[in-house]
Amino acid sequence: MPLLQARNVSKNFGGVQALKDVSLDLPESAVLGLIGPNGSGKSTLLNIIAGVEKPTSGIVKLDSKRIDNLRTNRIIRYGLAKTHQIPKPFSNMTARENVAVAVLYGRRNIHSPRPALEEADKILSMVRMGSRKDAPADSLTVQEKKRLELARAIATGASILLLDEVFAGLSPEELKDSIQLFKKLHDELHFSVLVVEHVMRAVLNISHKVMVLEEGRVIATGSPDEIVHDEKVIQAYLGSKNPAA
Amino acid sequence: MNLQKPGLTLYGLFIVMAFLATAALLLGVAVSSILVVLLIYAALAYSINFITGMIGYVDFGHVLFMAIGSYALATLVSYYGANPLLGVGAGAVLGLVFALGIGLVILRFRGVYFAIATVVLVLAAYNIVLQLPQLGTGGEIIFNRPLQPLAPYFTIWTVVMIEIILTYYVNRSRIGFGIRAIKSEEDAASSVGVSPQRLKLIGYMLGGLFGGAAGGVYSWSTSGVTAGPAFDFTFSLLMLAMIIIGGVGTSIGPLLGAVVVYIPSYFLLTSVAQAQPLIIGLLVIIMALFLPDGIVGLLRRSNERLRLVLE
Repeated sequence: MPLLQARNVSKNFGGVQALKDVSLDLPESAVLGLIGPNGSGKSTLLNIIAGVEKPTSGIVKLDSKRIDNLRTNRIIRYGLAKTHQIPKPFSNMTARENVAVAVLYGRRNIHSPRPALEEADKILSMVRMGSRKDAPADSLTVQEKKRLELARAIATGASILLLDEVFAGLSPEELKDSIQLFKKLHDELHFSVLVVEHVMRAVLNISHKVMVLEEGRVIATGSPDEIVHDEKVIQAYLGSKNPAA
Repeated sequence: MNLQKPGLTLYGLFIVMAFLATAALLLGVAVSSILVVLLIYAALAYSINFITGMIGYVDFGHVLFMAIGSYALATLVSYYGANPLLGVGAGAVLGLVFALGIGLVILRFRGVYFAIATVVLVLAAYNIVLQLPQLGTGGEIIFNRPLQPLAPYFTIWTVVMIEIILTYYVNRSRIGFGIRAIKSEEDAASSVGVSPQRLKLIGYMLGGLFGGAAGGVYSWSTSGVTAGPAFDFTFSLLMLAMIIIGGVGTSIGPLLGAVVVYIPSYFLLTSVAQAQPLIIGLLVIIMALFLPDGIVGLLRRSNERLRLVLE
């Protein structure tokens, strides 16, 4: 039984159909990569699952409970959290206070700031930001802000993470570091992950399965190895081998 | 910052408040009639601080709650001969109830749309009051009651005291973390489980409650209420000026701002009354440009120890 299910999800923005009959299954502890050219509907799909947007038709289920009619701050309670493509730190707080907000509001077991801040420190150490915990959030580098997004999502106690381009905009060295960190965290916490990513090296490396979207449709699903050899995928990314055809 | 034990800021504020209480008791009527206005200003500044200061929603119409409190007290005292204390209580409760009803609708707007909605509300309320014969001709209710200045003085003193303690503990609590997150990034706050609509409503209702109480004491100390001054836009601007000058969202800022805005205006009133809005306006522009965190922000940056202590 898959943990997260989407069935025949479609989304129209005015006359533009951003998603057409997209279905996906995310089993427990699995990492599902979602790739596709710009404007193929990846972020829209993520937003619909996270409750930021409502689907025009289709359903999303979590543990057989429908979540497509719930708002984001309700969905968090069912253990699903999403990071933002462009990091949105609370810039009037320090890094640890940022994470403490997620601990205080994402979970039901910690209600006062002091234990929440202690928990936040542990999570920041896990994402290797322990030394930056007292830094004001707006003074962090791009990589640190992305880690803070990840830390906040983990801090909500979520068992399913939706990661929107957490590996984008990093230097090769930072990328290697981030991939290694991701694998370590996944081994420790066993969360299920739906990851939208442009950086092929990252997505092929961490995903158990990859789904390819083009113009709002699923054109291929398979292991990373199958995907890189799939004719349709190569065409979608590089264009046809024979332009006349 | 120690989150459990109260810090120096709270003790400092208690000392100032104790000083204000003793000054009134020892120096009598003349001084307390000056200081009561200062405390009404402070109470209004703390009340708008729950909305504009903490949540970051600019409320140009906060005078509405002050007017609601003023009319509540004036009506009860003038027509029913009630104890003014009861009037202050009624003003506070009405302020809260109106804030609940209004907040459910206008807190759905953000930014400039919220600000415009608050201005429109005041204009509407002013015209409604003028049409209600129950609230006197031209919205004027005057009552004849021997005034004992110390009674309104210690009433508003108590209101400010409650506001200080509440502000201080809200800022340190779980709610304070949620509210600061909303102020920074409302959508991101929602994405980690914060319910913006709920927390914004709590802040707005606290603003209405204390705005109503302050308005009640205001009409008590002036023995009546008139629609024109009661809905005067200047009050809303003064409240905003006080928290901007003092330091938005902080526990100490509203009192600091009230002192800075009130003391010069008291002296100017006797010489160049018209210059008051000009001077305060200039001050706010200068603060907004160079010191967006107000006096509290300036002090925090000037000294490492103050940074840790001032809240």
